[in-house]
Amino acid sequence: MIFSIAKKELLSALRDGRVMWSAAIFVVMLVASLASAAQRYADISREREAAQSIVNEQWQNQGEKNPHAAAHYGVYAFKAVTPLSFFDTGISSFTGVSIWLEAHKQNMAEGEPARDATAIARFGELTGAFTLQMLLPLLVILLAFASFAGEREQGTLRQVLAMGVSPMKLYFGKALGAAAAASLFVIPVFVLGVVGLVAAPGGADFIGHALVVMALYLVYAAIFLFLTLAVSAAADSSRTALVVMVAFWAVSSVALPKAAADAARMIHTTPTAVDFQKAIAADLESGVGGKSLDAMVAERKEQTLRLYKVESIEKLPINFQGVVLGLQEQVSNAVFDKNYGQLYATLNKQKGVFETFSVVSPRLAVQIASMELAETSLGSHIAFTVQAESYRRSMIDTMNKAMTLNSTGAKPDYRAGPELWAKVGSFGYQHPPLSGLLASLGPSFMVMFLWLIASLVAGLLAARKLKVMMG
Amino acid sequence: MFSIIFRQELRVLKANRTWWGILGLLVVLTTIAALNGNARFEQMATTATKLNQDEATTQNALKAGVARYDANPVGEPPSVASAGNVGLSILGHYAVMPHDSLAPLSVGQSDVQPFYYRVTAHPSHTFLSASEIQNPLTQMTGSFDVAFVMIFVLPILIIAISFDLMSSEKEGGMLGLIAAQGVSLRTLILAKVAARAIILVLLLLGLVILAATLAGADFSNPQTLITVSLWYAIVVAYGAFWFALSFLINAMSWPSVTNGVVLANLWLLFVVVLPSVVNVVASTLYPAPSRVHLTTEMREATEEADKTAAASREAYLFDHPELAGGGGNLDGFYIQVLATDAAVEKVVTPIMAEFASQAAKREGIVNLLQYTSPAIAAQQALNALVGTGNAHFENFVAQVLEFHSNWRGFFVSKVVKGQRMMATDFDVIPTFNYATPNSGPAHSVTFGALVFLALAISVLVGWAVRRYARYPVV
Repeated sequence: MIFSIAKKELLSALRDGRVMWSAAIFVVMLVASLASAAQRYADISREREAAQSIVNEQWQNQGEKNPHAAAHYGVYAFKAVTPLSFFDTGISSFTGVSIWLEAHKQNMAEGEPARDATAIARFGELTGAFTLQMLLPLLVILLAFASFAGEREQGTLRQVLAMGVSPMKLYFGKALGAAAAASLFVIPVFVLGVVGLVAAPGGADFIGHALVVMALYLVYAAIFLFLTLAVSAAADSSRTALVVMVAFWAVSSVALPKAAADAARMIHTTPTAVDFQKAIAADLESGVGGKSLDAMVAERKEQTLRLYKVESIEKLPINFQGVVLGLQEQVSNAVFDKNYGQLYATLNKQKGVFETFSVVSPRLAVQIASMELAETSLGSHIAFTVQAESYRRSMIDTMNKAMTLNSTGAKPDYRAGPELWAKVGSFGYQHPPLSGLLASLGPSFMVMFLWLIASLVAGLLAARKLKVMMG
Repeated sequence: MFSIIFRQELRVLKANRTWWGILGLLVVLTTIAALNGNARFEQMATTATKLNQDEATTQNALKAGVARYDANPVGEPPSVASAGNVGLSILGHYAVMPHDSLAPLSVGQSDVQPFYYRVTAHPSHTFLSASEIQNPLTQMTGSFDVAFVMIFVLPILIIAISFDLMSSEKEGGMLGLIAAQGVSLRTLILAKVAARAIILVLLLLGLVILAATLAGADFSNPQTLITVSLWYAIVVAYGAFWFALSFLINAMSWPSVTNGVVLANLWLLFVVVLPSVVNVVASTLYPAPSRVHLTTEMREATEEADKTAAASREAYLFDHPELAGGGGNLDGFYIQVLATDAAVEKVVTPIMAEFASQAAKREGIVNLLQYTSPAIAAQQALNALVGTGNAHFENFVAQVLEFHSNWRGFFVSKVVKGQRMMATDFDVIPTFNYATPNSGPAHSVTFGALVFLALAISVLVGWAVRRYARYPVV
């Protein structure tokens, strides 16, 4: 019985011009956005890799110089992209793409693509994720809003129930039929996407991510399907069902995310760039653990002189200036850890506000999870800056040690060369394992699961109390 | 007859809870949005004040240091008297763009484009790339401002109150009765639309005035009055477009549900799909040059210049001017800094020009393609009017660049001539005075949008009127 109901639902969906038009728009947009994602991935990954290898070469071929001069020269770290980061561009238009890694300073990422975009980019970027988040629910609503309400208006609902069909069977039949119709449009595009992913260089590593992403969007569609069925079963008319669902879709997908953004900004304020730099300068001044840099240098000087049993730093077999630079880094690293730590904590608290809002907006829940898996989330950006910073610190440390040990009194004009530069190694972003990403998605998965259960239960309850007559 | 139906409709609306709910929702959302926009810009104004105070403090300290030496010029001048040290290392001038008093109505690009730059005597690319700290997540989502309520939410509310104006009468079997009274369908629907539209137009007037008042607009200023009026005109014309669209869809004699589906899809098309497509078209036709490429080129140039400079001076000292000795020695050092700057600038300038020219072409194509969707045209006009569109920020950058060359000239000429800073020099350092741009371009964007919306409305209404002549009443 369930299957024959499903088959009837599927057939009537396919014969409905309104549904076919909406489906056509949806499929065209999804395919177009995936194709443009493939193209952009090919271009941008090539460009970033080329840039990284150019700066690595520049570093390696910088000629002979004092190691500290090399530390000032520094290198750049470029953000790596994954094929999925073009399926869901997430926050990547609003984050810098490269960080200058130099002595004494932790710099912020630069070159946000949004600064080079027109104002209409703010309406939303045409990506696969955007299409699935915005258009798929509408398609599902169109498929299902008339399921019960429409039959009630035509009087066929009474006939079906009079024939002894249980409301539960009717419910599942209709759900299955609408799901089958939606799958007919979605699944082939998903298959196409996976084929494209496998074909993309390095894409095979992200198949697992892609499968989870696809599962997420199917759950997202299912939430809208169950909700629509529930509303259709409870509504006075198919008109009401449609208005209620479209209103819910518009408010929860468009308005609530914006409200979340403003609430996040108001509840947890980020410092201004100037205040942030001032706080760092003040902390550098006061030193670590109540001890200023000067005090640390004086103390270390005394220890070192005692250790080598000499009276002045000129007589030391090591370069004391190198030791001072090391102490400087020690202080500044602690200061950066503290200040950037606080900044990242604030940004993550703001993200928490988005997560809270996702309780009332399934789109936010799926968006947060999708960005995380595409590695275009706030978390991925912070991970990139943290890895770049730890690379910077090891680079500076290598330079300072070389200076301390080699630029001694006997060789005051010591120059390091390519052997030392090679010791630093090149920067490469380490992608987090899929399991790590999934672990961080606990709250979003939970919210989506709750939405799924709640909408299913709401649908079942509404079906049980199915009103046979209109009004 | 029109007035009878019109008054009847007003009575019906008065008793309709959904109608009141929708009006209430519009009032609540607009008020929240207005307060929201204000909070953002108040924060920005506070930042601007603090920046100016900081700068004054630094400058006074420098001046005092130099004044002490001026009074008793014994020995080498202090490093704070070195023009190079002041202009190229210590001092920067915050060039701030004060926001238009109505900017909170439409945040536009204000959360992406900087409203201040710290101008130094180094080449402009060194400070133009700086940006304010913001959560990229909130930037991505965008702001809940009054313009958002008008562009995104208002059409949905209009659709909700008008999608079944005719179809429901037909479905209820009333249409035949009304037609039998000798009422033309055109009169009927016009009266129905007019009743709703007039109330909404009046409410919107109140809401726009409320939002402008909350933003602190000074209505005694004729300029402000013109801006508010034009802003309101765009909102009304945009709303009228959606009424006209609904009017046309109602003329198709489809069932109410089909009307709803079609209108929801049209909303999606105009407000969501077309803007993202236009964006893709513009950025594919005229992509920004690669910032990544800019980075590697700049580095190459810096390295070249550094090598040349290092031939005459320890590269080590380059990075540690404090080790180079007293004020006198600094002059030579800063002359070399200027040489490096010039070498880098030579490489960067053509790339920056490429950025600017591509951006101009992109804006050009958007100005053309904005007429594919009333939502884009209206949004562009709402931004332009309150000075939050890209054009406004480009004008600000142009002013900053002009100021930069003055500021830079002031210090560079001193460095090159080997003059030190005197205390009196601090009083004549150039300062940035923002000049509010001519409102001409913003007004022409607005008139373009108004003409476009008027044309679209007349096409839709004309088409609909022809359809109503053949509308089947049963």
